[in-house]
Amino acid sequence: MRSNTVFWQLGGLMALVAALAFFFFFQQSMRLDESQSLWQTGRSAPEILTIVAQDVHVPLYHELLHFWRVFVGDSVEASRLLSLIFYMASIPALYFLGRIAYGRQAGLFAATLLAISPFMNWYGSEIRMYTLFTFLVVLNQYFFIRILKSAEETRERTERAWALYALTALLGIFTHYFFFLTLAGQALFFVLRRGLFPQGSFKKFFGILLVLAVMFAPWVWWVFHQGQANQASPVLQSPTSINFFSAFSQFIFGFQTDHLNTIVLSLWPITVLLGFLALRRTRALQPETLYFMISVFLSMALAFIVSVLIEPVFVSRYLIFTVPSLYLLLGALISAYPPRMASFARYAIIGLMLAGLAIEMFSNSTPVKENYREAAQFLTENAAAQDIVILSAPFTVYPVEYYYRGPAPIATLPNWDRYAFGPLPAYSADAMPQEVTDTTKNYQYAWLLLSYDQGYEEDMRIYFDEHFERVDMREFSPGLALWVYKIRYDTPLAGEDFVPGTTTPEQ
Amino acid sequence: MNNHEQPIDLRTAFLKTGSSRALFAANAALAVLYFCVLTFFFKHGNPLLWGLLVAGEVFHLWQVLTFLYTVWDTEHKARFDAALVPAVDVFITVAGEPVSVVEETARAARNMRYAGAFSVHILNDGYVAKKDNWREIESMAARVGVHCITRTVPGGAKAGNINNALKLTVAPLVAIFDADHVPHEDFLEKTVGYFADEKMGFVQTPQFYKNHGANYLAQASWEQQELFFGPICKGKNRHNAATMCGTNMVISREALERVGGMSTESIAEDFVTGLFMHSLGLKSYYVGEVLAEGLATEDFLSYSKQQFRWARGSLDVIFRYNPLLRRGLTFAQRIQYLASASFYLSGTVVFIDLMLPLAFLYTGAVPLEISGMFLAAVFLPYMFLTLYCVQRSSNFTFTFASLALSMSAFTIHLSALWAAMTGKKSAFVITSKEAVSGNFIRLAAPHIAYVAIAAFGILVALNREGFSASLVNNIAWVALNAAVFYPYIKAARGDAHPAAAAEPGSVPLSSLIKPKHKVHAQ
Repeated sequence: MRSNTVFWQLGGLMALVAALAFFFFFQQSMRLDESQSLWQTGRSAPEILTIVAQDVHVPLYHELLHFWRVFVGDSVEASRLLSLIFYMASIPALYFLGRIAYGRQAGLFAATLLAISPFMNWYGSEIRMYTLFTFLVVLNQYFFIRILKSAEETRERTERAWALYALTALLGIFTHYFFFLTLAGQALFFVLRRGLFPQGSFKKFFGILLVLAVMFAPWVWWVFHQGQANQASPVLQSPTSINFFSAFSQFIFGFQTDHLNTIVLSLWPITVLLGFLALRRTRALQPETLYFMISVFLSMALAFIVSVLIEPVFVSRYLIFTVPSLYLLLGALISAYPPRMASFARYAIIGLMLAGLAIEMFSNSTPVKENYREAAQFLTENAAAQDIVILSAPFTVYPVEYYYRGPAPIATLPNWDRYAFGPLPAYSADAMPQEVTDTTKNYQYAWLLLSYDQGYEEDMRIYFDEHFERVDMREFSPGLALWVYKIRYDTPLAGEDFVPGTTTPEQ
Repeated sequence: MNNHEQPIDLRTAFLKTGSSRALFAANAALAVLYFCVLTFFFKHGNPLLWGLLVAGEVFHLWQVLTFLYTVWDTEHKARFDAALVPAVDVFITVAGEPVSVVEETARAARNMRYAGAFSVHILNDGYVAKKDNWREIESMAARVGVHCITRTVPGGAKAGNINNALKLTVAPLVAIFDADHVPHEDFLEKTVGYFADEKMGFVQTPQFYKNHGANYLAQASWEQQELFFGPICKGKNRHNAATMCGTNMVISREALERVGGMSTESIAEDFVTGLFMHSLGLKSYYVGEVLAEGLATEDFLSYSKQQFRWARGSLDVIFRYNPLLRRGLTFAQRIQYLASASFYLSGTVVFIDLMLPLAFLYTGAVPLEISGMFLAAVFLPYMFLTLYCVQRSSNFTFTFASLALSMSAFTIHLSALWAAMTGKKSAFVITSKEAVSGNFIRLAAPHIAYVAIAAFGILVALNREGFSASLVNNIAWVALNAAVFYPYIKAARGDAHPAAAAEPGSVPLSSLIKPKHKVHAQ
């Protein structure tokens, strides 16, 4: 395969990703996480350090986005462009990582999977740190493998690889806390296969880890100094084995409906067959393969164990950094098959991923779609000044507020003052009736927008159903539903029929 | 997984065994954990299916643990004295094999390097076996300059042939080769020295198939052998429990006489004779080096007969000479013999595993009532780690073809089990050294029937409960089984095409046989 051909192929893949983003993903409504990013990065640079420390993240991406918005533009599309750039840059980066680990064909195959990945495309235009995180992990792994294979390199090139490895690791740990899982995997691999590394690597590697720890220490101090975190993020559930396997399914087939996902997961015995077929003579486990296996499975397992034993942190998007390694492993597995079968398997996986991408894009049932834009526009057009818009969970105020331009005031249940220091107010079944009364008593209609169920959504809806007359209901995207209740009958137009979505009740 | 393929020497690759004890310990722990979770923590479904599943898992656990126990250390060395050069009688057992095949073996045996005295004897059973070429064998022996012993009184098959020759020879050591197993020049130099230990009963070397690349079946047959002759045989040395394989071996005459000669009571005469020797406290050693090269079966009928013979003989050890009850064996030897013999019970377990999806498809009954993903969470790590340990221990020579053939041979294993349990007499059939061409699809009829029954069952289940997750899961199991059967069915149909990547030095059996004639199936 000629370099020129590869150049055009990579260029084509990047163009495909850009086209998908501009013509589809950029056109989607902003999601909760994105609105939080915009809200947080709308502050000054020092303020961002405080607000991010109170959240669950590290500050590099937020600071970067802050200045990006200042210099490039403040629109949602401009902010999404930053993520897209890192995603596009990850494609050639993964090619080079694959090439150094397994050869050009493997690198190109992995880069292709990354470009058509429904999962990566989803986050490729999301205003979050995930593509920067992925990009830095790929670069970091590239330099790690370069060091591993540096026996025949010049001293100068090896030293450069060490320096760039350290730099990418430093940037990585300030991009996402889970970058430490990458370092943990590398440390384990180092211990297991220390003999493969050049002499003196042990001191350098653990020296770098020590320096990273020292440089990260002030941030740790800062987080603790902030005291109680704001906890303005959704409560995560403790994961089950289904979540564990669903993450793999999402990495390959993207976000699908529960039914389709269940079907995909039920096919798990086929993975046994895929393993059987790879049993071929002389297919010894390459060190690189062991490394990528550690990178994927150790990270997933640690996140899962921590989630079960300590605190839930097992979220597939946090583990996005394992996706490039997973695609490289897939390529390595397939390369063990006889040539014709391998060729079929490559086309099959590409076909299935493209199908997953298409379904994810065009299905209204895609579970991660959050159509706050349409919901807010509907509220803008229909909710009147004497009505109240009630949002639950409380933190969904960010995306709604971004789009909402109506006259009705916005409240949250449980009531939350996001400018007050401290965590989100906890839900209390006993306190809810009073909160509802206090929130609605002066209004004619309550427009209850429920999303991001935190475990009390159904209680709240049933309470409203039992105490008020429901006049309308509509769903804008999976899990994002609007329930409209008539609160008072002592208004001039009391008793008139309300036709939802067509007219605003007259004043 | 290595992208950069390098030429490998198949004569040495399977013997470069590796033992990663931490990995093996983790595999054992995971196997026990999987079994315990499956048996004690998962909610039971249909009692009968659950019982069958657990019975199968008990067997799998036994197989995994005994395998790991065997390959824990494959580098045990025995005492060797290169200066020891007692006289040796070299026996080449013949019963109708093509003259050209026997001649090559005889010439190679005659040309072996050895500082001591040795004489080569062709043990010609062609006359008693009513083979046409027994006179030609005698003529060939005279031409080559080796001694020919033509038996005239039948009895005892191959074992009887050897025992007859023992009466007519005197050397303290006896080297035995099948007609097609051509010894290397240094065979005696590298084996006799182990008899420096006075208690050494026999020394075994690998059975390498030089025609391993002739076609898919020959290649897969060899790949099945690699696991056995690689880590398993080498691992048995640690327990003084080498398996006697009937060819490419040297035996102490005195030891053989103490057990009454080669056993004629079993069709696996070698395996049983080895057991008898170990029961007397005699020693054994497996030399991890290819010192003779033979021929694998290239046709499906011969392969099936060979598998049946091995299965029947091994199962006889359980039913007639149970090592657990036999005096004189150490605990480790009992375990080793039982582990080897019980391999052929795996057909029963494969059959159980095949039936479970069918039970669901036709009745909706399941052995466990749990989330499929919970099962996957405990099963997949155990499964893949076990596969990796098998690969690691065998220097990555274990292949899908080998696995597919072993699993698909469950019908043969079940037949052998039935024969062993009922005491049905099975004839000792010499493995054909000629390719028998033809379509043996009838031998794969159960496999084809399984796929057909499962396909119909899918329709039944679809009608019963729609496109449910359980149905999809069971379809996946059926697909897995069907994929494993596919190479077997293909081989039975006569598609034993030349192997895709025949190794250098691999010779098709047909080219070794003159004149080239084919025996057609009935």
